[in-house]
Amino acid sequence: MKALDIHNQQILDEYTACLPVLQRMDSILQHVLQNVLDENGLAVTAVTTRIKTKESLAGKLARKGNKYSSLSDITDIIGARIVTFYTDDVDRIAAMVEQLFDIDWDNSVDKRRLHELDSFGYNSLHYICRLPQTMIYDSDRPLLNEIRFELQLRTNLQHAWASINHDTGYKSGVEIPREYVRQLNRLAGMLEMVDDEFSRIRTEINDYRRRVQQLVQNDKLDDVHLDGDTFNSYMQVKPFDRLNRRIAAINQAEIQEVPLDVYLRVFIALGCHTLGDVDRLCKKYEEDAYVLARYQLGNTDLDIIASSVGLQNICIVCILEQGGGKIGLTRLFNALNGENPQNALLAEQTYDQAMNLPFRNK
Amino acid sequence: MTTEIKTNDTQWVAVFKGRLDTAAAVQTSEDVKPLLEVVNREIILDCTELDYISSSGLRIFLAIRKEAAEHGCKVIVRNLTADVRQVFIMTGFVSLFEIQ
Repeated sequence: MKALDIHNQQILDEYTACLPVLQRMDSILQHVLQNVLDENGLAVTAVTTRIKTKESLAGKLARKGNKYSSLSDITDIIGARIVTFYTDDVDRIAAMVEQLFDIDWDNSVDKRRLHELDSFGYNSLHYICRLPQTMIYDSDRPLLNEIRFELQLRTNLQHAWASINHDTGYKSGVEIPREYVRQLNRLAGMLEMVDDEFSRIRTEINDYRRRVQQLVQNDKLDDVHLDGDTFNSYMQVKPFDRLNRRIAAINQAEIQEVPLDVYLRVFIALGCHTLGDVDRLCKKYEEDAYVLARYQLGNTDLDIIASSVGLQNICIVCILEQGGGKIGLTRLFNALNGENPQNALLAEQTYDQAMNLPFRNK
Repeated sequence: MTTEIKTNDTQWVAVFKGRLDTAAAVQTSEDVKPLLEVVNREIILDCTELDYISSSGLRIFLAIRKEAAEHGCKVIVRNLTADVRQVFIMTGFVSLFEIQ
């Protein structure tokens, strides 16, 4: 690399002097960005920040001649990037960023909007920002609020395209033939379509979940096919709370909440196709499940139960009333615990204990 | 009631012997404290010689499970005796632990 002229060397010296401020800004930025995403429940692929290295800055100054009059003219000394899963999230985060930082609108650019209708390529949203005094103020370090930084927002796919394009296009320093530029841009167009499809599918899944929740709340359970999503929605209305409270009341026990999603495969194995089937099965065996619990717990002083106990007993009673016997119970415990020899012992003990209960003689 | 804690490169094992009832729970809570600090290991609760477990004992197992989950550990309850197995069934604790 050729030596810098005096002017650019002064900018480089300014950079060295500012390094402690830059490091503090970088740390604040990482913290603030992660916080705002967490507070809004937004999962992203990556939040990264970096300070341009001295070597990289020297290279930039050498390439640009006397474009910059001082360090403050360079807007990407500090860079931050948020890479999202969905294209919709870029816009959501953009709205948050606009409230968080002082935006230099003259230098911020939405590259997504720059393309002509028939052209495709680099897609990313770039903001040039400053940290506002309401976020951080240190009278000894006014530069904290004066130095600008660049924040890039893009999706996973836009990031992949930009990285590969940078690697193949710029890095070599040799202009690549038009044919390859066209092929890369063609891919950008395809990825834009894929990004839109991912967002559309997510929106449709969310709509589906809302519709299912509506059906569950309106008790139209026969219209809802049984799957992981719909079972979760059903569980959100806590259909086994009443039974668990009755069982807990036997010994004034506390109820320890546990996830019940593992019971989905039990209900499918028991022949349920819709939430209506699950609901009918549970209502049919609820009373006998309570009788089983009362028989088991009544002679003990156990005052803690898991929230799975009601559902577990419903399944036990259902299997026994349908003649599933010890083998059926072993399958139940296999589904709940994973296959291991202890499950046959659990099944045998449960079977023997339930032998004398009234429902066994129905 | 005794509780012995053993450890190797991949596992921490707590061997319970006797009756884990309310009276024994205070000492057992002290004995298992090293397990609450374990990070990224498998924790085995060996119940081969555990004759009885009360609600207080179940709460100790729960506390171990809670800390283990926060520290990236897996808890396995091993070799339940018939009486203790019965307690696990009655309380629904079979859904809370991996039982081997």
